[in-house]
Amino acid sequence: MRKLIEFRNIVKKFDGQIVLKGVNLNIYENEFVTLLGPSGCGKTTLLRILGGFLEQDEGTVIFDGQCIDNVPPYKREINTVFQRYALFPHLNVYENIAFGLRIKKTGEDIISQKVNRMLSLVNLEGYGKRNVTKLSGGQQQRVAIARALVNEPNVLLLDEPLGALDLKLRKEMQRELKRIQQEVGITFIYVTHDQEEALTMSDKIVVMNAGSIEQIGTPLEIYNEPANAYVARFIGESNIVDGVMVQDYRVRFDDKTYECADFGFRPDEPVDVLIRPEDFKVVKPRDGVMRGEVKSVVFKGVHYELMVETRTGTSKTVKMNVVAQHDIVNREAGEKISANDFYVDSDDLINKDMTDQDFISIANAQAWDDENRDISLTHVSHNIENRPGIYLITFGTEKKTEVTVKVYVVHPEYVEDPRHNIGISALDFFITPDEIMESMAISTDLKTWASAEAWNLQDDSPVEITDVKFDFDPATIQEGSYDITFATQGREYKVETTSAHEAGDRVGLSFGPDDIHVMHKEVADA
Amino acid sequence: MKSFFRMSYPYILWIAIFIVAPMFMILLYAVTRSGNDTLTFTFTLDNFARFFSDPDFIRVLLNSLRIALFTTIFCLLIGYPAALLIANLSDRAQTMMLMLLTLPMWINMLLKTYAWRGILLSTDFGSEFKVFIGMVYDFLPFMIIQIHTAIAKLDPNLLVAAYDLGANKWRSFLKVTLPLSVPGIISGITLVFLPAVSSFVIPKMLGGGDYVLIGNLIEIYFQQTGDWNFGSAISLIMALIIILAMWATKKLDRSAQED
Repeated sequence: MRKLIEFRNIVKKFDGQIVLKGVNLNIYENEFVTLLGPSGCGKTTLLRILGGFLEQDEGTVIFDGQCIDNVPPYKREINTVFQRYALFPHLNVYENIAFGLRIKKTGEDIISQKVNRMLSLVNLEGYGKRNVTKLSGGQQQRVAIARALVNEPNVLLLDEPLGALDLKLRKEMQRELKRIQQEVGITFIYVTHDQEEALTMSDKIVVMNAGSIEQIGTPLEIYNEPANAYVARFIGESNIVDGVMVQDYRVRFDDKTYECADFGFRPDEPVDVLIRPEDFKVVKPRDGVMRGEVKSVVFKGVHYELMVETRTGTSKTVKMNVVAQHDIVNREAGEKISANDFYVDSDDLINKDMTDQDFISIANAQAWDDENRDISLTHVSHNIENRPGIYLITFGTEKKTEVTVKVYVVHPEYVEDPRHNIGISALDFFITPDEIMESMAISTDLKTWASAEAWNLQDDSPVEITDVKFDFDPATIQEGSYDITFATQGREYKVETTSAHEAGDRVGLSFGPDDIHVMHKEVADA
Repeated sequence: MKSFFRMSYPYILWIAIFIVAPMFMILLYAVTRSGNDTLTFTFTLDNFARFFSDPDFIRVLLNSLRIALFTTIFCLLIGYPAALLIANLSDRAQTMMLMLLTLPMWINMLLKTYAWRGILLSTDFGSEFKVFIGMVYDFLPFMIIQIHTAIAKLDPNLLVAAYDLGANKWRSFLKVTLPLSVPGIISGITLVFLPAVSSFVIPKMLGGGDYVLIGNLIEIYFQQTGDWNFGSAISLIMALIIILAMWATKKLDRSAQED
């Protein structure tokens, strides 16, 4: 195939912001090329530079061996199908299509011949006299395509042309466009953010991200051999996990080493490992390469989409002591006061420099008068020391209504999980049945009451606690001691299968070396 | 829908009392003889016969039509490029220019015309030319604003599409901008021609005592002669001419749309 278009190091800035960071791309004759990427990745900008509607700040565009940087758009042998069609509302279908031919002063008989041929190419025979504003979206789209193609350009640019159509029509037009491209046999450059559209129609896909090209390849290459996690995530459903390339054909992830088909990495290079959801086979637990529990099932028509947890997260279990509170009554002053016993982490005493106000809130200390109005606590006295042990703390009001509770100072008990690189901590706590019954979001409140926290052992960044396990009913809670387990997210895989499963099922997952695809880590953008 | 309709009742009443009824009275006066009372009407077409049989009246009518036509054409010729220029400015500059354009409209027309009288007094221009200058000055903003609105409404992608299809700037203008601004041109023409053909203040103040247009004629018969019947007949003739003119431009607009 002959090279038709060459972008050489195209740089474009808008208001100082770099939209294209030096793009190099070759496009050949008769190719259906798709520029694919999220909005703002620069794909439309690149198209507009080729159309001549924008000027690049650096770089050159070569068209058919000639530099076209200084050629105005109306002299380029390129036509465009615009996002919103941009049909001329004052012209009917026939005249819209004839527009380019009339500009070139083509004879009336040739115009009529060519326009009618175009009308039949886009399946709009007999629509010539129609008003374009009265056509449906799909029909307007066809007119826009015919209006561009009638000029017999070498290249047709299509800027998200199907964006405004509904799903069914979009699918129909995808097939239609592919057919038209094959029939007229010219280069189509198609811009879209829809990965499915790109896979369906293209000979070649150019995946773009933030002004650069991430990968160029056939739909099959892009899907099966994505260059990095960005491309893998953008095209199709994916499971991407951190791994290490032990040696050629051996990759280690999730604490196990697996055979794979990839090679050519540095020894022990950290990599991203991709397994597509449809590449898993769901088997009996003992037959699986991995075992796990089905967390959720979504029916997708042809298949089910399962989330399978193969590894639970890092967890910490604490005791919740439920004690009914006894208010202390000061009849003379007409006041009542109450507070809970509480646990405190000796590290927090040092590091957080805890104030009286902190103790009031941990103990949930409060006072109120006969008419149920809150009274402020004016003094707090305690003998707490920065040593594990049991201490006393007294809260009181101005009128000497006082309550004394126990403070358990404990050594921090972190669970450190070096394998997953996560630390988690939580403290036992005292609570009243009322507080539990009144809770609107029990899991969140339990985390607060137990001061549950998880963090990354390397950089101390917080890690979300996704799981709070308990076995009581908040509505009917009784006094007593309960276990609460806090856990971080485990490893979950998205799995596509045609067999039915239910949440809670134990399953095995199996896959072969070819189902694993190893990718270099994305280099962080400078 | 029904309640919306009910909300329009006061407006319908307003129109009936202040627009339909007076028009009906003009019609009544125009086809009757003077000296009517509420019970006896003497119907006649003499008023119209009188107008059309007097060459002086016909000349005044033709003068009015001619000067209104020239004013409209001239407003269009300088108004269109001005509107196009403004529409291509930045948003802020556009707002600024439109404000400057409408600024003179905040000043009473009498005052402006009076100012022109002072300016034109020392010149040797003929009465008709002086009136023409006054009319262009007064009515030009209407033309510019109407055309600007039509051009500003155009989807800029249409021009991009025209370039894409091989049209240079000039051809794109001729093939896209101009035909799509026809509605603006039509309403601009209407808004200039109508007041121009019936104006009586401008010809009175700028044309000198002997320069009479049809608006002045009506004024004379109502105010000075007190012949309301003949005045009404002239009003009716002018109204019919205006309706005819509007019908013709509408027709023109529609055929332009179908092209």
